[in-house]
Amino acid sequence: MHSTILRPALAVYTAVFVLFLYAPFVVLAILSFQAGPEGGPQFPITEWSTYWYRHIFGLTPPSRVAPLPIGEGLVRSLTLAFMTMVVSTLLGVITAQAFRSRFKGSGVVFYLVVLGMMVPGVLVGLGTALVANTLGIDRHWWGTAFVVHVVYTFPFAFLVMLAIFNRFDSSVEEAAWSLGVSPARTFRKVTFPLIFPGVLSAMLFAFTLSYDEFSRTLFASGRDLTLPLAIYGTFSVEIHPNIFAFGVLTTLFSFSLLAVYAVLMGLAVRRARRVAVQEDV
Amino acid sequence: MTSAATTVMTAPDPTAPAAARSPRTAYWLVAPGVIWMGLFLVLPILMMIYVSFWTQTTFKIEPILTTKSWATFFASDTYLSSLWTTVRIWLIVLALTLLVGYPTALFVGLFVRNKTLSTVLLVLCVIPFWTSFLIRVLAWRPMLGKEGAINIVLQALGLIDQPIEALLFTELSVIIGMTQIYVVFMVGPIAFMLGRIDPNIIEAARDLGAGFGRIFRTIILPLSMPGVVVGAIFVSVMVLGEFATSAALSGRKVNLLGNLIVTQVGSLKWAFAAVVGVILTVLMGLVVAGLLRIVNLRREL
Repeated sequence: MHSTILRPALAVYTAVFVLFLYAPFVVLAILSFQAGPEGGPQFPITEWSTYWYRHIFGLTPPSRVAPLPIGEGLVRSLTLAFMTMVVSTLLGVITAQAFRSRFKGSGVVFYLVVLGMMVPGVLVGLGTALVANTLGIDRHWWGTAFVVHVVYTFPFAFLVMLAIFNRFDSSVEEAAWSLGVSPARTFRKVTFPLIFPGVLSAMLFAFTLSYDEFSRTLFASGRDLTLPLAIYGTFSVEIHPNIFAFGVLTTLFSFSLLAVYAVLMGLAVRRARRVAVQEDV
Repeated sequence: MTSAATTVMTAPDPTAPAAARSPRTAYWLVAPGVIWMGLFLVLPILMMIYVSFWTQTTFKIEPILTTKSWATFFASDTYLSSLWTTVRIWLIVLALTLLVGYPTALFVGLFVRNKTLSTVLLVLCVIPFWTSFLIRVLAWRPMLGKEGAINIVLQALGLIDQPIEALLFTELSVIIGMTQIYVVFMVGPIAFMLGRIDPNIIEAARDLGAGFGRIFRTIILPLSMPGVVVGAIFVSVMVLGEFATSAALSGRKVNLLGNLIVTQVGSLKWAFAAVVGVILTVLMGLVVAGLLRIVNLRREL
């Protein structure tokens, strides 16, 4: 656009803005290579080492810094994220499927579902804990925490699937039906391959949001802590660079999930293209 | 979405009215989701409102209705000041995310006409969200501390002699942290709206002799308002419901309503926690309803 000053000025500003977004994490990553066990969670780096990474895996001799209590939490969080992913994707797909036909009350249902991602976790968590207490239900990560995780991730899956179905040409399904293909087989052979990219995105959203979910889980899970709760527990006491090293590792894990997603997405797109080419021939 | 619901925060009736007119399969398909949200979202919120009127004894709550917990809240300076702190921090963070985010959104949405480049820039902004929320909060500690990165850099540049101690474990650190964590929710919607502006309109205005200031005031800003409102709703809801950032970065000095809830639950004062929860819900409902008044999103989007 116009103005010879404004454009470069805004470009520089955007660069500074991106720096502002990334700087804390970069600093954290650098400090995770602090010398141990005496090095503190601040500059200067007394000596570069991978001590705190080995510390997380229990490969260092015992010192005054207790190991992070993350082993069991990790297993719980992964299981919980998997359960949440399956259920919320399923709910998202069928609810969005219903929205392909106009029905009375669809507006109310839409807002009810979207409310799940808008209401702050601390309120949902508190309410769930109150309901569980009143009904005499024990709170567990696989019970009360699981249902509120789905309340949180289901709207994301629903919105993703809604966007997919909006661009979906239903005449291909009708063609299959008119050729006498059963609805179940049509879904498997026609509908599902077409909506697969959406399903994959919904799964990715649900898994990562649940894996990282903290404020809902705080009240809704019982004594057994999930990974974010275990990490939060270390905040109150003095922090050590081992939590920085953990931050780097958990970020790498999230990125590898993203990479798996990208590979699967690429395969799906390539397969769709191959089918399209076959049709042309 | 035909129903004219003006507020997002009022919990609608979970049992959607059945109509014989429309295909029955649609109701079977939405039923599981509606039941799930009714049981695990609407019921807990209603329960919270109900429990806020229960009688609180030292270690438990009894379903004898009373307004005592409410009276306690409004009679206590600690609780009222926490309400005020929440409102103050919300307003400051909202203003900062708008001020800090708008120029970036302007660049990404309007000045970068190359679609690939603007997508790359937006993705670059979103990537930090792929790291854990708590780690993002914690990452501010080595930045802001007395021996933190900011103080080291400022001292090396010779801008300050003594390290600034007010950076960490103050209200300022909470504000800085929240701004960085939530600013992207402001940038995204605004950039989206700016990207939809027809460049010909701006071209025409310039041909007619309007300067950038005039173009910004009369074209760009009004057309970006829906994005501002959507971003403001995201940021408001998240900041008002916060407690982790203030707990981790203020050294327990900043007590938001969310922190109050956590402490009350910790000491088994469920009825007080519920009162704070209801107040937070009402506050949020008012804020969202107010923001929706500014722009008719249904028409603009």
